[in-house]
Amino acid sequence: MNTNLDIKTKLKQVLVEELNLEDLTPAQIDDDEALFGEGLGLDSLDAVELVVVVQKHFGVEIKDMEEGRPALQSINTLAAFIEEKQK
Amino acid sequence: MGKNWQHQFFYLAIRFGGRRLAYFFLYFVVGYYVLFSRNARRRAAPYLRRRFPNAHGLERLYHCYRLILNFGRVLVDRAVIGIMGPQAFKVTLHGRDRLLSLRDEGKGLLMIGAHVGCWQVAMSALDFMQRPVNMLMRREDGDIDRHYYEHAGIECPYQVIDPTEYLGGTLQMLGALKQGEVVCVMGDRTLGSERSSVEVEFMGGTVELPYSAYKIASTTGTPIVVFFSRKDSSDSYSLHLAEVIRIPEIKGREAQSFIPYVQKFSTALEQYCQQLPYQFFNFFPMWRE
Repeated sequence: MNTNLDIKTKLKQVLVEELNLEDLTPAQIDDDEALFGEGLGLDSLDAVELVVVVQKHFGVEIKDMEEGRPALQSINTLAAFIEEKQK
Repeated sequence: MGKNWQHQFFYLAIRFGGRRLAYFFLYFVVGYYVLFSRNARRRAAPYLRRRFPNAHGLERLYHCYRLILNFGRVLVDRAVIGIMGPQAFKVTLHGRDRLLSLRDEGKGLLMIGAHVGCWQVAMSALDFMQRPVNMLMRREDGDIDRHYYEHAGIECPYQVIDPTEYLGGTLQMLGALKQGEVVCVMGDRTLGSERSSVEVEFMGGTVELPYSAYKIASTTGTPIVVFFSRKDSSDSYSLHLAEVIRIPEIKGREAQSFIPYVQKFSTALEQYCQQLPYQFFNFFPMWRE
């Protein structure tokens, strides 16, 4: 079972690698930083990739917007969502 | 186009005299618009300049008249379906078996259409898919003409996904595709941010077309179907499967990788315009002038 810290670390790593965030390293991503818009600067097209990445690397499905909206706010919220689903 | 009372006038004409009476009034109303509304001519001009490059003066005006007359007929037809029921028109589907086989792949189906023919009528022909149909669409402020289901006072037959919603509606689109549903989008108009569009060639110029649907298809493995509707006669429409586009997994944020696929759509649309020059109703500025 992954701990919350493990999940966050892995999340940052796959974000940078899979979304090709070239000017960023995992260490530069703040846990509370907004993923979309201001903050990390991801957009709706990255959201598509992110949903698939979460499923591929963590085996967790973000089924709809009800689940996705609160989960995709920051690394913290996404890690908490994954941890909850993996229980 | 048109003011609210003018739309109401045509709805009344349909109720009391049927489609033909409404068509009859259209000749005069469209004539008035083409002669006296600079705005109507201005909005049709970019397309007509490219489709009929050698036409000037009166000849250009004639093409403008035919284009707007056909657009008016489509608006009338849309209202006719709502007021008199779908049986008022015969809708033929070309490519039914192919669509069913793509549906059975189980990855959902992305249908990319354009502002041609009457896509709302075409949507009414998708029942055979036996899957919920979702439509990515945005109603503009001041958009006064009604959809056919609004005339009929029935529930919208498709689920509307609003591109101005959170993350441009992409999460809803993904969710629908995961359930094996059909998602329809308009491929000839950009609705979201600039990053979600790419430049392709269309009718001798450069246009920006959206590629979000192509990105989703690449990520999910969903097949894309390019489909166009056309008005075949006064009381019949057909829906044509123009192209099937399969996109491999493309990683990263580089939009350029999607250009060849968006270009396929653009090429199919151009072929449509060559064949049916008066059924292209995208009056939004497309080309970089």
